[in-house]
Amino acid sequence: MKLWIVTLCLSIFCILPLRPAYATHGGPHDVTIKVNGLVCDFCARAVEKVFRGQEGVEAVGVDLNTHEITLDLQNGTNIPDDKIIALVTDSGYSVTEIARP
Amino acid sequence: MIRQFLNYLPLLLLLGWGNAAEARPVSWPGGWTVMTMNDPDMNALHLSYSPTAFYSVGVLHEYMREPGARMDSVELGNLLKRWNYPDSQANLYLQSGLGIAYGGGDMEPAAYTGLSADWEDRRFLTSYTNRFFYGGDIDRYARHTARIGVAPYIGDYGDVHTWLMLQADYDAGKKDHASLTPLVRLFKSTFLMEAGYNLDGGALLNFTAQF
Repeated sequence: MKLWIVTLCLSIFCILPLRPAYATHGGPHDVTIKVNGLVCDFCARAVEKVFRGQEGVEAVGVDLNTHEITLDLQNGTNIPDDKIIALVTDSGYSVTEIARP
Repeated sequence: MIRQFLNYLPLLLLLGWGNAAEARPVSWPGGWTVMTMNDPDMNALHLSYSPTAFYSVGVLHEYMREPGARMDSVELGNLLKRWNYPDSQANLYLQSGLGIAYGGGDMEPAAYTGLSADWEDRRFLTSYTNRFFYGGDIDRYARHTARIGVAPYIGDYGDVHTWLMLQADYDAGKKDHASLTPLVRLFKSTFLMEAGYNLDGGALLNFTAQF
């Protein structure tokens, strides 16, 4: 019974604030990565966490509709394509395209 | 008894484990997962850590209602294979655990193992999970769980996602072998809650958080 109550309380606390948690990133981005397998918030959160931990990454956006990760980088920094591919692959997903303006 | 357990062990580890919860047992590199699972058969509390996106190590405490037994275990989760497509994803997981079962004043070594397969896009979901449990004279079972689900709307990242699902359970060793549970899944960011009501009158309530 205790675990039922704990489960219910956790659910109410975490799920019920019915509002979007993340703002979308507007404007041009330094890197746009097309990824296969991005179908849910767990997936989005995984790649977001991985890229946010990288030096020089200022902002990370994930769009489940376009299957894209967007990166805004600090001035003078860069992430090479092979590193991007490795980070996405290590997160469990597949890169199909990397675009830079 | 120990010898009997060891005889079963290789088979159990080969067959793989699938928890009753359908949430992902493996998180992102460095991620933690906590799950509570409650249904007519059991209450369980699970905590795991994923060093990589392909395996996790964790602990599970479980109360099995029918024999009135408890189990504490350590477990290993493996993402054996993931198929990534532009609009969908499929996964094959193997999970196995070793621990101690307590019941009726006895204490027995316990092991469980099982496979879990799922496919989902943003509108539909289907999954199958099995779990083979050996707890000596305290409890033994082979349980199969299948799910289908549909999302009535498609939300963006960070929205509350809703899934309407139907879960079918089968356990040949139980008095009522099969059951059907309609349930609702609410999913926001890395928090997931499921609530359902078994057609035989039992409730289901699961919660998962990854952080």
